[in-house]
Amino acid sequence: MNPPYYPVSDFGPMMKGMVIGGLGIVHVFLAMFAIGGGLLMCYFQWLAQTGRSPNARRFVDGYFKALVLISFVVGAVTGVAMWFVSIQVSPRTIGMMVEEFHWVWGIEWTFFSLEITAGYCFYRCSARLPDRDRLLLLGIYSAASWFSLFWINGILTWQLTPGDWSRTREVWSGFFNPGFLPSLLFRTVTAMTVASLAACVVINTMADLDRAARKALINKAAHFLFPMAAMPFLSAWYFGTMPEDSRRMVFGGSIVMTLFMGLATGASLLIGLYAGFALLLKRLYINGATATLLVALSFAATAGGEFVREGVRKPYTVREALYSTSVAPEEVTRLRAEGCVARDPYPLRDAANYPNDQVRLGAKVFRFHCNVCHTMDGANALRHLAGDWTPVQRRMNIAQLQRTKTFMPPFSGTPEELEALVRLIEWATAGRPREWPVSTDREDWPEGRRRIRAWLDEAGVAPGFLKPGERR
Amino acid sequence: MDAPFPSGLPFPTAAYLVLYLVTLWVHIAFMNYVLAGSATLAAGLVVGGRAAKEHPICALLRDWMPFMLSAAITAGIAPLLFLQVLYKEQFYTANLLLFFRWMAILPALILGFYLGYLLKKEPAPGRGRGGRIALGIAVFACFAFVGWSWVENHLLSVQPEECWKEHYVSGAHLYASPELLPRLLLWFVAGFPTMALMVGWQLWDRGRRGKGDPADGARAGSAIGLAGVVVSALWAWRYFYLLSDAAQKIVSGPAGRLYLLLSIAGGAIELVAFAALLRRGRWSPGWLALGSAGLVANFVGTGVMNETIRLVTLDGTVGLPLLFARHAASWKVAGFPVFLFFLALNVGLMAFCVRRVRRLPN
Ligand code: HEC
Ligand code: HEM
Repeated sequence: MNPPYYPVSDFGPMMKGMVIGGLGIVHVFLAMFAIGGGLLMCYFQWLAQTGRSPNARRFVDGYFKALVLISFVVGAVTGVAMWFVSIQVSPRTIGMMVEEFHWVWGIEWTFFSLEITAGYCFYRCSARLPDRDRLLLLGIYSAASWFSLFWINGILTWQLTPGDWSRTREVWSGFFNPGFLPSLLFRTVTAMTVASLAACVVINTMADLDRAARKALINKAAHFLFPMAAMPFLSAWYFGTMPEDSRRMVFGGSIVMTLFMGLATGASLLIGLYAGFALLLKRLYINGATATLLVALSFAATAGGEFVREGVRKPYTVREALYSTSVAPEEVTRLRAEGCVARDPYPLRDAANYPNDQVRLGAKVFRFHCNVCHTMDGANALRHLAGDWTPVQRRMNIAQLQRTKTFMPPFSGTPEELEALVRLIEWATAGRPREWPVSTDREDWPEGRRRIRAWLDEAGVAPGFLKPGERR
Repeated sequence: MDAPFPSGLPFPTAAYLVLYLVTLWVHIAFMNYVLAGSATLAAGLVVGGRAAKEHPICALLRDWMPFMLSAAITAGIAPLLFLQVLYKEQFYTANLLLFFRWMAILPALILGFYLGYLLKKEPAPGRGRGGRIALGIAVFACFAFVGWSWVENHLLSVQPEECWKEHYVSGAHLYASPELLPRLLLWFVAGFPTMALMVGWQLWDRGRRGKGDPADGARAGSAIGLAGVVVSALWAWRYFYLLSDAAQKIVSGPAGRLYLLLSIAGGAIELVAFAALLRRGRWSPGWLALGSAGLVANFVGTGVMNETIRLVTLDGTVGLPLLFARHAASWKVAGFPVFLFFLALNVGLMAFCVRRVRRLPN
């Protein structure tokens, strides 16, 4: 098979991963708020109707308003946005996910519809509902939202740890993959944490309650912070299910990933410490400003976590089935013989800006093969990364791309395409002059070509985390 | 492609099309409410002033707009899924070509939602009428923009690769097609009968539960519905002649004729129902049910015609055998029975929730 060719858009100086990561964080955070919020409201409704907390019912109504206003539409729209941005970043990846999991996605949608319906019924009628029905609707609402997580979690974890699916290509073995359970539990705990901290903010806005009443509510909300104690264990379990090379990236292999992981861990630890000391032991009051700060910290933790989750899949978007470049591993050999852009029907948008056809070819190769993770001049720019290398170094390191950094895929083009890409980088580094010689016209090109071919062969077509010749 | 749907199509293709269409109809019903409803609200603010503000239809629309928008969005997700199974490459390519302009529908939805909430609130004393009017128009403009985007994306998605290439090289984010405005207008005017029926049911239900009078808004509502049916029928006739020859042939030929007739019959039934409601001057469940049956027939007819047109168009670009093979491959993926099970369970639970709150005293 050939990879399908799509028109590639350019996000300017931003790396595509930054765009999807940024949006993903907002969406995941809102989803966590909704899921944990559902559970928390069930708890408070139960406290209210069993006489354990006199003001809990008022809190439920206040919290639910915030949830409906923020989560129902912005949550849903950012979800659709995730889908649309995924299409922009890698249509073949999202296409493959839809292909494999359309029924699972369909199931998730039925739960989401139930969540919205139960939520609106509660929203419009809660004031007139008897306690029993309030709890029932809240129960349905929160079960439905938790199950949305359940289903989507299977698809997302499959991307990194497809497990037996790699062999069987069977939906359910992909869905219930090794990462499924730890990730589901971890996210549930995160959702409870976010909901609890957001509750502290909401309680502080309930100005008609006196401080003691607010404090009583906050202490109840803090019960949802207890499960954080399981976080270290759950994350260890999750990391245990990760492929070795992905884990290496988090623990030092890629400094960016390590930093983001540090951010997530640090922010969680701070929240955990605050929860442990201030809320649970001393039963302190937590004011609006502090609560907001803690919510911000939980946002930072989510941000770090999401970046790591998106990042450690490299060089794949679906482990061992699809590289980030939208090339399937079994296609690499073919593309090295026939060229990766030979069949790309889309011309360059800015063809006139390049000095010659070789550099134009290089620009097409860049667009196909590097553009998902690099820019030419902006974030993670090739001009900065390889501009100062020697000519030999540039050719060899790109030919052996998967060994230059194991989180890059093997180079999947011909020596001519590689040379063109190198010339593009050199031309851009030289300040984009109008005149630029074509290297494949030179006498020594056959020798250059031979060397590139030899480097390509030496690196092989296997991903870089396997030793040359090693097989799965 | 010369027998009426679904005969002549391989089973997987027909099955995905049915799922797509059924879920799309639900989306369209809510979308019609949002689009035609926000237009009605804006028009009411412009021409009616205070009287329009207190009009039962306007009050109802303002109250329900945020919910109906969530419903339209939620109901849009399922057809979005099946659309990708059916026409992945076309949909993705159109998305990619329109890029930011396509993704602008997301902020537009969020903006429309919050402005809709503002519209629901009582204006601060001393605030002029101008502000309210601007607000009403802005809400409508957000939703009209979203509708325009879907139409534009649809039209671009069925173009041949040559056109995609040209569009890509030009770097344009807008796709201008002579079909664009007429098609958007058709969707827009066809929304009014749907909205009128949904509003009719809501107001009838209020009257029945003693919260209003069954005559509330009946004349205005059925007049809107009636006018909507007439104008959209005339406009559809005009639109037909904008279609490609192949599309015209398929719609009026043996493959499309049945559905063309169904769509016309549905419209005629709606017409009768609205006329009767207008004469009686009050909402009645019998006529509303008849009108709704007409609406369903019209949805089925139009929806199937629309897909038939898409299929002949794509037959001329990528070719149907390729599409059919993809659908067959997707169908091999396990999970359909599980999906059906949860669909039934969750629809049941949704009905349960609604019944639970409907039996409440006021
Ligand atoms: C899966 C995403 C991905 C793809 C695809 C990708 N790269 Fe990279 N590349 C990275 C990341 C991440 C880095 C690390 C950047 C850093 O360390 O700051 C990197 C680093 C590099 C470096 C610097 C290596 C070093 O050791 O300093 C070069 C040169 C490079 N890439 C070239 C390319 C070229 C050329 C292509 C296209 C043929 C490409 N990359 C495709 C993700 C990718
Ligand atoms: C107020 C908001 C919206 C309006 C006014 C609206 C309007 C429309 C219109 C006019 C069409 C017909 C396009 C055509 O065939 O020419 C359409 C189709 C569609 N809409 Fe919506 N829409 C809205 C929101 C959404 C959302 C949020 C989603 C997704 C979650 C969605 C999913 C779809 C799908 C999948 C189609 C079918 C497209 C096709 O067949 O090519 N809609 N919508």
